[in-house]
Amino acid sequence: MMRKALLIFRLVFMERSAYRVNFILEISGGILSILIVVFLWLAVYRSAGRAELGGYSLAEMITYLLGGGLINSFLLTTAENPETSQAIQDGALSNLLIQPIHPYWVWLFRDLAAKAFLGVIGLAGYAIVSLLLNERLIFLFDPLRLILFGVALAAAVLLQFLTFESLNLLAFWVENTYGFRFTLRVIMEVAGGAIIPLSFFPALLQKVFALLPFPYLVYFPMRIYLNKIECADILPELVRAAVWMAGLAGLNAILWNRGLRRYTSMGD
Amino acid sequence: MRRYARLFMLLCKVSLMRQMAYRPHFFLMVFGKVIRMVLLLLFFQAVFLKVDRLGQWTFDQVLLLFATFHLVDYIMSITFQRNLSYGLPALIQSGNLDSRMTLPVNPLFMASLEDIDMMDFISFIPCLGLLIYALHRLGFAFTWLQAVMYGLLIANALIFLFAIVLIIAAISFWTTQSAGLARVFDDFTRVGRYPLDIFEGFWKFFFIYVLPLALISQVPSQALLGALSPGFLLYALAISGLLAVVAIRFWRTGLKNYSSTSS
Repeated sequence: MMRKALLIFRLVFMERSAYRVNFILEISGGILSILIVVFLWLAVYRSAGRAELGGYSLAEMITYLLGGGLINSFLLTTAENPETSQAIQDGALSNLLIQPIHPYWVWLFRDLAAKAFLGVIGLAGYAIVSLLLNERLIFLFDPLRLILFGVALAAAVLLQFLTFESLNLLAFWVENTYGFRFTLRVIMEVAGGAIIPLSFFPALLQKVFALLPFPYLVYFPMRIYLNKIECADILPELVRAAVWMAGLAGLNAILWNRGLRRYTSMGD
Repeated sequence: MRRYARLFMLLCKVSLMRQMAYRPHFFLMVFGKVIRMVLLLLFFQAVFLKVDRLGQWTFDQVLLLFATFHLVDYIMSITFQRNLSYGLPALIQSGNLDSRMTLPVNPLFMASLEDIDMMDFISFIPCLGLLIYALHRLGFAFTWLQAVMYGLLIANALIFLFAIVLIIAAISFWTTQSAGLARVFDDFTRVGRYPLDIFEGFWKFFFIYVLPLALISQVPSQALLGALSPGFLLYALAISGLLAVVAIRFWRTGLKNYSSTSS
């Protein structure tokens, strides 16, 4: 399995490298959008004339936005990929079914590889921006927190995959799943905390967001990074994220099994 | 002129038929776009929970700016944006532009309006509602002249955007690739959603004089609020006019240079 996974990783990296210019432009666009929001917050802090807003100092806010931007645009948003839907719709799934590896694993590894690829390019882009904002950024040195941050990121990556994969699998029933994925992505960006820390929203909205798995995508890892959550509170949150993952994985399994029974593939 | 109006209606109809082929998809996309606007609005509200002004701008004024930006942005995306930014380079690359050039209509008309985005047209309606809500919150406190200026400057913003989008798209006559650059410009235009007061020094200068994104929503909003100086009004009109002339020339030169090679 490990060898197959590595092979898939290598293939995806090769495919993606063929369109480097496109990715670099896309990532520049993402960074630009984040910079605009950084400017906005600089102005908000200036206007407010206070060192802290909503429990965040300016440095914390800028770190949050850049970190959240990195997680959002490269690990979560950009990698929202249509491969599963496409394979089901155009019949490429038939070909995958006869391979010596389960299609679901192929899609998972391809998704992880795409995220890793975008993550590497994104990290380079954000590193350059970080140099410019160096004095305003907060760096984390506590090894325990760094490890927990890493675990939370891994959970975010999997949660995002499982959520979107359950929509992708709807392709067994509906002709076009893009509408579902687009709508969910829009909600995910805000409810995940990619644009602003969730604590800035009115209390009612915060409660609604907390019912969704999305706060685990950006808000939770960034809270760990910025020391906004006690170490002791992190573990229960991770368990809750794991429950979400298990639930979504179960849903995926049901959709896959039911869907495959309906699946017909016609030739041209 | 009437022929073009009829042709435009026909293009709308064909686009609607094509985009409605998957009906649930169509309405889900509209729903997603409306949700996106609502969530962005919530974001602004969250900001204004913490401050009562952004630079000189109150929440109601920012609401007007926001609605104006999306009004312009929607009109652009319903009509020419995707056709020019992504459609034209593809037509040039594939050589399919040939078939459009042989039609008895202006090639620029076809290149910019071939595919009308009816999803955005439906999502545009709540945006109009938002504009009316913003005006209501401002107590409709403007004169007829200010309202006329507002409309004029929105048209001016569209000419400005059309010119830049056309210039970027026409680059593909030489390079066959410009979609990446178009996307970066698209990201840049989002600056127009915020009052320029958030920028200081160099960047403020940049967005007023170098890449005058202030023209998109700030200038029309200021006109409606009665805060636009005559100098700025002339400047805004001059820039768009000048850019439009340059863009049309550039497009014509590009068209002459078009080699019609296909793969």
